[in-house]
Amino acid sequence: MVAGLAAENAIVVPDQNLKNAGIEVIGGEVVRVDASGRKVTLADGQALAYDKLFLATGASPLVPPIEGKELEGVLTLRGLPDACRIRDYFSEKKPEKIVFIGAGFITLEVASLMAMTAKEKMDITIVELLDRPLPLMLDMDMAALVKAHLEEKGIKVMTGEKVEKIVGKAGIVSAVALASGQELPADMVFMNIGTRPNVDLAKEIGLEMGRFGIKVNAYQETSDPHILAGGDCVEKFHLITGKPVPGQLRGPAVIQGRLAAKRLAGYAIPFPGVLNAGGCQFFERVATSTGLTEEEAAKEGFETVSATVDSRSKHGMIPGVQPWRIKLVFDKRSQKLIGGQIVAHAVASAKAIDTVNALIWGGKTISDLTTHMCACNPDISSEPSLEPISIAAELALQKLRS
Amino acid sequence: MQKGEKLIIVGCSGAGGPCAMLAKKLMPEVDVTVIRKEQYFIVR
Repeated sequence: MVAGLAAENAIVVPDQNLKNAGIEVIGGEVVRVDASGRKVTLADGQALAYDKLFLATGASPLVPPIEGKELEGVLTLRGLPDACRIRDYFSEKKPEKIVFIGAGFITLEVASLMAMTAKEKMDITIVELLDRPLPLMLDMDMAALVKAHLEEKGIKVMTGEKVEKIVGKAGIVSAVALASGQELPADMVFMNIGTRPNVDLAKEIGLEMGRFGIKVNAYQETSDPHILAGGDCVEKFHLITGKPVPGQLRGPAVIQGRLAAKRLAGYAIPFPGVLNAGGCQFFERVATSTGLTEEEAAKEGFETVSATVDSRSKHGMIPGVQPWRIKLVFDKRSQKLIGGQIVAHAVASAKAIDTVNALIWGGKTISDLTTHMCACNPDISSEPSLEPISIAAELALQKLRS
Repeated sequence: MQKGEKLIIVGCSGAGGPCAMLAKKLMPEVDVTVIRKEQYFIVR
């Protein structure tokens, strides 16, 4: 939508879908919840009684308290209104020098779409505090492929750089000043450094809070027996470490919303925890990951063994064959799979991360994976002898022996 | 939840819409109301 490739109404769920299902939709802001009287009050004074309440208040972009963040031309992206603002600013102001702060997946998607759809050549720079793009998804060796592709496409990627302040002239952004002393000219700045849960209402109710949001049990129930919560506003726990994590991705949000509905209908299906599986497409590459990176695993106290394999999207004889690389991370002690990363030329190859996801979820080990068999066809997969998950497991097996 | 009880869902994050739709499907006799301050439910 930001790049003008999709219309506003194409990326939203029409109210009519909900109304057709017999759901009442009210546009308005809940400003107060009387938990003991089980009643919500809207900004217009309207009050509604409830038997059960589900909080799905989402998250907002995290904007650090740096000088210049309020200047015209400094933008963030979370919801549709943000996307509209970016699209409008882009078409009206026609920025030529754009600085992205943070090298997460939203930055990579937006930067590449802007570069691909711009009529004039743009000067795009990505500034990242950590030492690589997609630092929460990829280890350095895999992120190097991402950086190389961005640079090949003319995007300047500056890692290990801290933004000191955003500079402006007459209230409009003009540059980004780095702690290293360098100043990057900019007529548009896009900030993407994370999100914070929207928990004001929950705090006001007095619900128990975790470090990363509203505290819920495995059934999405809060500390109030009549209130459930789910999605970006709640704290989750990691499937592998069991530790609290933010996990503000759409996949877990949808599942938690459905789990809450099932709980209210009498089912008792627990939320299993998150692996933070995600991905993004930028120019002609797709990066996906799930579970722990090698670096994260080390921080969590795991001794790891990893293996990286290059494969191809189709049999070598088929026209249009494209390469992809997968990295699997195993816990050396239990030999269980704990993470996976893919950088691919094709979307279909990158979707193999869902297989990795399921294998982690199933607690599969290196030995198990050596017998992993895929659906093979010359047009849709590599040759069976090049199936990369089983090959990666064999490499890990050899590393263990040595 | 029982017939005639009221479920209110606050918010339009990825959790709110799916919760409303499935709740109504599983419990058609429960009143489901969604309250959101944003203009749309976003799909992404």
